[in-house]
Amino acid sequence: MSEVDTKKVADRYLKREVLGEGTYGVVYKAIDTKTGQTVAIKKIRIGKQKEGVNFTALREIKLLKELKDPNIIELIDAFPHKGNLHLVFEFMETDLEAVIRDRNIVLSPADIKSYLQMTLKGLAFCHKKWVLHRDMKPNNLLIGPRGQLKLADFGLARIFGSPDRRFTHQVFARWYRAPELLFGAKQYGPSVDIWAAACIFAELLLRRPFLQGNSDIDQLGKIFAAFGTPKPSQWPDMIYLPDYVEYQYVPGQPLRTLFPMAGDDALDLLSKMFNYDPKARISAQQALEHRYFSSGIPPTEPALLPRPPPKKESVTSKGSDFNPLEGPTVLSPPRKSRRVMPNREGFEGNTHLADRMDDHEYEARQSADERNEHVAMSLDFSILGTRPPSRPTINSADRTHLKRKLDLEFQPEEED
Amino acid sequence: MAANFWTSSHYKQLLDPEEVDVVHQIDKERGISIEDFKLIKLHMANYIAKLAQNVKVRQRVVATAITYMRRVYVRRALTEYDPRLVAPTCLYLASKAEESTVQARLLVFYIKKLHSDDKYRYEIKDILEMEMKILEALNYYLVVFHPYRALSQLLQDANMGDTTQLTWGIVNDTYKMDLILVHPPHLIALACIYIASVLKDKENTAWFEELRVDMNVVKNIAIEILDFYDSHKMITDERVAAAMIKLNK
Repeated sequence: MSEVDTKKVADRYLKREVLGEGTYGVVYKAIDTKTGQTVAIKKIRIGKQKEGVNFTALREIKLLKELKDPNIIELIDAFPHKGNLHLVFEFMETDLEAVIRDRNIVLSPADIKSYLQMTLKGLAFCHKKWVLHRDMKPNNLLIGPRGQLKLADFGLARIFGSPDRRFTHQVFARWYRAPELLFGAKQYGPSVDIWAAACIFAELLLRRPFLQGNSDIDQLGKIFAAFGTPKPSQWPDMIYLPDYVEYQYVPGQPLRTLFPMAGDDALDLLSKMFNYDPKARISAQQALEHRYFSSGIPPTEPALLPRPPPKKESVTSKGSDFNPLEGPTVLSPPRKSRRVMPNREGFEGNTHLADRMDDHEYEARQSADERNEHVAMSLDFSILGTRPPSRPTINSADRTHLKRKLDLEFQPEEED
Repeated sequence: MAANFWTSSHYKQLLDPEEVDVVHQIDKERGISIEDFKLIKLHMANYIAKLAQNVKVRQRVVATAITYMRRVYVRRALTEYDPRLVAPTCLYLASKAEESTVQARLLVFYIKKLHSDDKYRYEIKDILEMEMKILEALNYYLVVFHPYRALSQLLQDANMGDTTQLTWGIVNDTYKMDLILVHPPHLIALACIYIASVLKDKENTAWFEELRVDMNVVKNIAIEILDFYDSHKMITDERVAAAMIKLNK
């Protein structure tokens, strides 16, 4: 009976163009004939792996089945077809990074408030369900056809809750990594997602990534240069962290100088989200209750938020490296520079973490991207003057380390 | 797991006992009775536990794997999906879902070590194929809650730390039954504590009364467990073999 079922389910979706290469397989656009809805289908390659359903994909399935919220990407359906597992997601037009990078878009304070509010709502829901996202960054915040922002890419997410549980600290793209993670903390909580959300808030205000470190050490340096080296009184537990090293004292800069455009309430919330001490850092729920959201101009209605113009329904070059879920919208800047980034800054090539399962594929794709990119990027240059440095995700050294840890770290643990 | 049980898929999927103990039509045609059905599931739960001992995974993984197996047979017939393949595959899938992956080839190695019987011998590719079918049968719901976490907290609170081992063992035994498909895990934990306190003559009626739970439900679960212990004495290898042979036609 399952055979018949499978066919029927696969027939339910009318396959359209390929949107790109996802973190663990091809993604294509499709129409759900049952609902008329446009969807994005991720095809998870199984065949060549000796270990069945991709671990990262399985994590995403497991958590998304539990997380149903307007600000979290919806996993609509899943079905096997021709030996591959297919995941059906709601179709999303673009992502927050495309919004931030699009120089034709003006983000008003009310727009920023709206984007941040939706981000925090999604996070608050995850945290209420004891799920850490662990990979918050603008291109994992997808934007739907009516402007709704949704958290996506739960391939790194985990259930937390046991106070003594040890996790790997090699999570998040570096620029969004909280200082406790950079100091090697293995016991951490939802506050790591808040730090990343603060970086996203800052990025919305500045229209460029806020703390662009090119190594873990440099990342801490950048953080301290902005906010000042933390004093023990600000963060008592810091000196006990595994990789703690003393940094030379530098004074911080006033937030007002760093974010001249932001209002008082915005700065107050930002400072609470950037609190050094993870225990004292504001929670997603508290942040939503902050007066930034309740006073001053109200957040823009999602449907009225500025977004990049939708891309014309035309050839989406096969194998182009779109973020699978964001759909054919953004013309500039070329998104190749985001999800998979060639080595431009001279540091270790970046790799999206979830690509760790199929390195081979990645290499091939990377070189293809590099080719595509030159043409497109030159446009970007003329607009921006200087191109923002590539966004590091997780480098290959981290990656091996991570792979080892993610798969093995939890094995010898005692029952909880 | 500390995640919120009451909003979880596990809670929403709890079944009535009548829904669990249904022999599928095609199994009936093979002469499989409700007793055979229960016996085969028990046998497979033991098989999973034995494999798990060899590949060395936490008890939580074992518990999740058995839960998956039991959920699969609510929706699929034994003759449809061979339990001798479903059992190891559930362990394989649970190890991934609980973040302590066991390699398929390691499982296959121990399957062969434990069973000389050809009927048990499945290869990596069989496991990987079955993994997909199991995911489908589970409707992709993978998060399972267990009584263990509640157990340690409750024992501490009841001042019964000295019975941890006994109670823990009783909880492990509940996976030989379908309780995890029917009752919230903390009530199963309480029923096990209740049995342990009766066995060890602990007077903690007051403690139970202070809990805001329906003690009738707890007692009923406890009785079910005790009934199981009674009937378990009658189970012989011959009876298991007689049930298993019905799968082979």
